[in-house]
Amino acid sequence: MFKTDGGDELFIIDGHLHLWDASPDNQLNKYGAGFIGCFYDYHRNLSPAEYVWDTSVFQKYGPERMVKDVFVDGYVDMGIFQPTYLKDFYRNGFNTTEQNSVLRKEHPDRFILNGSWDPRDGEAGLDYLQSLAEHYGIRGVKLYTAEWKGNSRGWKLTDPWALRYLEKCQQLGVKNIHVHKGPTIWPLDKDAFEVHDIDEVATSFLDLNFIVEHCGLPRLEDFCWIATQEKNVYGGLAVVMPFIHSRPRYFAEVMANLLWWVGPDKLLFASDYAIWHPRWIVDKFMAFELPDDVQKEFGVSLGLDVKRKILGENAARLYGIDIDVQRKEHARDAISRMR
Amino acid sequence: MRSPACGEGAASGLAGMRRDEVYAQLAKVSDPELDQALTELGFIGGVELDGATVTVRFRLPTFWCAANFAFMMAADIRDRVGELPWVERVDVRLQDHFFEDEINSGINGGKTFVETFPQLATGDLDELRETFRGKAFLARQERLLRRLLALGWSEDAILALRVGDLLGLPLASEDLALAERYLAIRRERGLGGDVDRPAFVRPDGRPMEPAAFKVDLAHAQRTRLSVEFNAAFCRGMLETRYGERTANAPESPDEVARRRDTRRCAE
Repeated sequence: MFKTDGGDELFIIDGHLHLWDASPDNQLNKYGAGFIGCFYDYHRNLSPAEYVWDTSVFQKYGPERMVKDVFVDGYVDMGIFQPTYLKDFYRNGFNTTEQNSVLRKEHPDRFILNGSWDPRDGEAGLDYLQSLAEHYGIRGVKLYTAEWKGNSRGWKLTDPWALRYLEKCQQLGVKNIHVHKGPTIWPLDKDAFEVHDIDEVATSFLDLNFIVEHCGLPRLEDFCWIATQEKNVYGGLAVVMPFIHSRPRYFAEVMANLLWWVGPDKLLFASDYAIWHPRWIVDKFMAFELPDDVQKEFGVSLGLDVKRKILGENAARLYGIDIDVQRKEHARDAISRMR
Repeated sequence: MRSPACGEGAASGLAGMRRDEVYAQLAKVSDPELDQALTELGFIGGVELDGATVTVRFRLPTFWCAANFAFMMAADIRDRVGELPWVERVDVRLQDHFFEDEINSGINGGKTFVETFPQLATGDLDELRETFRGKAFLARQERLLRRLLALGWSEDAILALRVGDLLGLPLASEDLALAERYLAIRRERGLGGDVDRPAFVRPDGRPMEPAAFKVDLAHAQRTRLSVEFNAAFCRGMLETRYGERTANAPESPDEVARRRDTRRCAE
């Protein structure tokens, strides 16, 4: 909950949380080391100095610290666990649904648990998806098209098997398809940040929501175009938001474009914890105003009502969360006593 | 002035000259996504000369930077440095990258992209390169247009400009540099660089039109913003990854030797 000086209360849903184990014991190979090393550079590069952790803490920070950072210090009321399995890089996986479910069990009203699937798992993977839906009641999945598996270096949403998984999601009511659009490695001779496969599946699966994580950056122009065409394409602001600190002018221009093309009802706040701590992002976002020239050029605003949507209401709508009901539940739970 | 009595100094003078020639060639190699020279971006980790063999170390902002762009840059390094008449062999060493072994052996063995990655690649990189030259064109054009608008030029006045007018405009030197960069990529793309042609054309070469000016500019603005956002991110990541080495690259053994020789000569 963020309270403004004027007494307004904003309910905050963090759209992208991780509880990972990337400690050396869990790393399988140089790729595991390279993966967390890259995350750590993201963390160091864009965080304010007082929020930069030691490498060893960053590799494995544990559930207590996470709860304190996100819900006690970080203003967040609810958060979405987005798993990243990476079993070719980490012995027990990087951050799986099963691992996340342990902490969710402790704080059932605070976490939304998402699953994941990989079309290269074929029939067995379809069964696994069904079991995730039945066992955990998942409403969303995080897909990582750049994940390696054996000799394969990635896949596309338009692959025949991926379409079968999307059909299965439709049947199971797993409506929210979060897709990481960042560095992908396959096919090598295409642009690694291609977002056009989203366009195709969004048209074919109109009752699924496609949340493009990181807004397709650095291919903002392609993403804006697709999101304008498709009613069911959303932008996840992980990685975009931390620029508010080191590059506020770019942040303003990117936000203005997103507000104009994608719209205030289709953008979701996310810290990408533990890459970044939600506290400073929320603080800076609440204090942020678009510069006059940007506001004038695009004719968009980033006022309190827009911030309220981005920080919580949009995600609540996608996940069927009744904010008033949740507030009452939260008033009685363990985390509210820690605040 | 080199003293003829200082033989070592003369030799390292030649090495120094050759090193400068190598760097001048490297300055012609751009990151295709960012449309900036590798030398400006800090991607060159060092150059070593051993007779007619040149070793160029290069590094990228992350372990996972796309292999296709890394390959393009490595190939361009090999080709540009190889243009120097005294160079017999170029050894390109991409470092700290998940595909460094594959890319280095492919590039130094004279292989194409598809030959280097037979399992993963389905075609060579020309189409991808072309896509990003198109984006670079739009971004360079947008920077110049936006600058002229900020200086108070009207849309009509801008659209009335001819190619021959651009470099004669009463502009500050950094704004003229924008015009030069725009004209260079326009020539490169074969979009009619004759002096009496309209200064501002669309990517297909047709003149920009008043009715579509704002829409075209907004589209170019998003492209430019993506490129710049990416470039800012990449520079930040490189600095984070390599610390001060970016701003102040380590001296290679023969740079140190050269400095020592120069000092000795001066004494």
